[in-house]
Amino acid sequence: MDLVDLSTLAVEDLPFSNFLDQVCERFGVDYAAYAGQSPLDGGVHAFVTYPDSWKSHYTEQGFHRMDPTLLTARRSIAPVDWRRLDRGTPGYGKVFRDAHDFGISEQGLTIPVRGPFGDIGMLSVTRRCRPGDWDRLVRHVVGDLQSVAVFMHDAVMRTDVLGRALRHPTLSTRESEILQWVAAGKSQQDVADILTISHRTVEVHLRSAREKLGALTTAQAVARAISSGIIYPA
Amino acid sequence: MIVIVDALNRSRFEEVLDQMFRLRARVFEGRLGWEVTVSEGREIDQFDALDPAYVIGLDDDGHVVACARLLQTTGPHMLSDVFHGILRGESPLRSATLWESTRFCVDTERLGRGRGPNTVSHATIELMIGTLEYARSAGIEDIVTVIDPIMDRLLKRSNNAPYGYVGEATPMGKVPAMAALLDCTPERIARLRAFAGIEGEVLASEEAALARFQRVRAKAAGTGLYAPVPVAAADVVAYCRAQIADAADPQEKAAALELVAEVARTTGLAALSELVRCESH
Repeated sequence: MDLVDLSTLAVEDLPFSNFLDQVCERFGVDYAAYAGQSPLDGGVHAFVTYPDSWKSHYTEQGFHRMDPTLLTARRSIAPVDWRRLDRGTPGYGKVFRDAHDFGISEQGLTIPVRGPFGDIGMLSVTRRCRPGDWDRLVRHVVGDLQSVAVFMHDAVMRTDVLGRALRHPTLSTRESEILQWVAAGKSQQDVADILTISHRTVEVHLRSAREKLGALTTAQAVARAISSGIIYPA
Repeated sequence: MIVIVDALNRSRFEEVLDQMFRLRARVFEGRLGWEVTVSEGREIDQFDALDPAYVIGLDDDGHVVACARLLQTTGPHMLSDVFHGILRGESPLRSATLWESTRFCVDTERLGRGRGPNTVSHATIELMIGTLEYARSAGIEDIVTVIDPIMDRLLKRSNNAPYGYVGEATPMGKVPAMAALLDCTPERIARLRAFAGIEGEVLASEEAALARFQRVRAKAAGTGLYAPVPVAAADVVAYCRAQIADAADPQEKAAALELVAEVARTTGLAALSELVRCESH
């Protein structure tokens, strides 16, 4: 199943919660949550698929001020399995004791995202299942979840005017010339041969170009690079 | 033995980090002559304040002999903010599945030449394996690493040549610096392991790493560097028993046993040797 392309929609129509529903379905998790903090106004954007009862309890109790899946996990560069969190802290006890009563599992993973301007985002997923199944699931999806987390974070950060202005894509010469050759119909191997670089070097530059352009696919990246005048239509 | 230290566990590893910052000062200011800020014998820069992850190699005696620093390329990192020269002013790669590795170094003074344990080659490859395996477990596919030509040659000689480079080699102190690309594929990890003959686990648990690091302290205590605090033998034995009893899994238990064996050697307490013998079976 394809994920909603957040970057083609007008800001006010962005279906972030819908996007998270699809994340749950695609990756086989019970719930997904995103929280991001803009460095400009310090404003927090949050979207979750949790039941409404847990959402309102969480807000009423002010759990966002003590939730270790937010406060601690943000300081890691790698995804944080919640087993790594210190269960002895008061915050952990409070949040997870209540989460349990609302049927939310203690088995989860938070993916911290760091943006270029000191902005921070976190995508968390949780699933109730046997620990062995959980480990297998995480191993299987962690790479894709990383990409999805950054994609969503960038889309959320672009929703404010300043964020949009700051995030004007700057592609390197290498990234633009590779996109230009792809636009001309060349395969990745062709491009590698033309530029006398390795296939994987082409691949890593394409991945970077897609991310800078907020695109999920290379075709979208090409279209967007053309429309913003970075490359020319073939 | 490689241990990963980040913001979540660094309170347990402050002494290890201190040794690492000293190693970095010796290598980057001393050997490579880079313009780095060294204060009280420790090299620390603004990226160390950004909660990076450190990959740290310990030798058999528990000394910090190798290290590297990892940051996400989506956020602030050295190639985007400092190493403009290498990229010739071009914008850096940015990807959710690409990490940056910097301050990659090994202790060439302590380590020997040639192959085998406690050599420069072995420590470098072990650090590389630890970095790639940690990155891989986090869903990372590639690493862009800032290295010097000596390290670059070492990578090539160890059947681990970068698959590409970004930017250009740029003079920095006594030697140039360059940004190399490495994939985190099982194939590359297997090549490294085969070259260095490393088969078992490279990434150690926090407990095992701390136990290994204590060996340095134990030795230093013997030389009078750390003033030994008088402790009753009964307390030592009770402490060791608790360490073993509190182990949550076999790995922790193995680490605890290693620690107790070390204490048994340094103190000569027969009760402890006996404890290790019983618990090992």
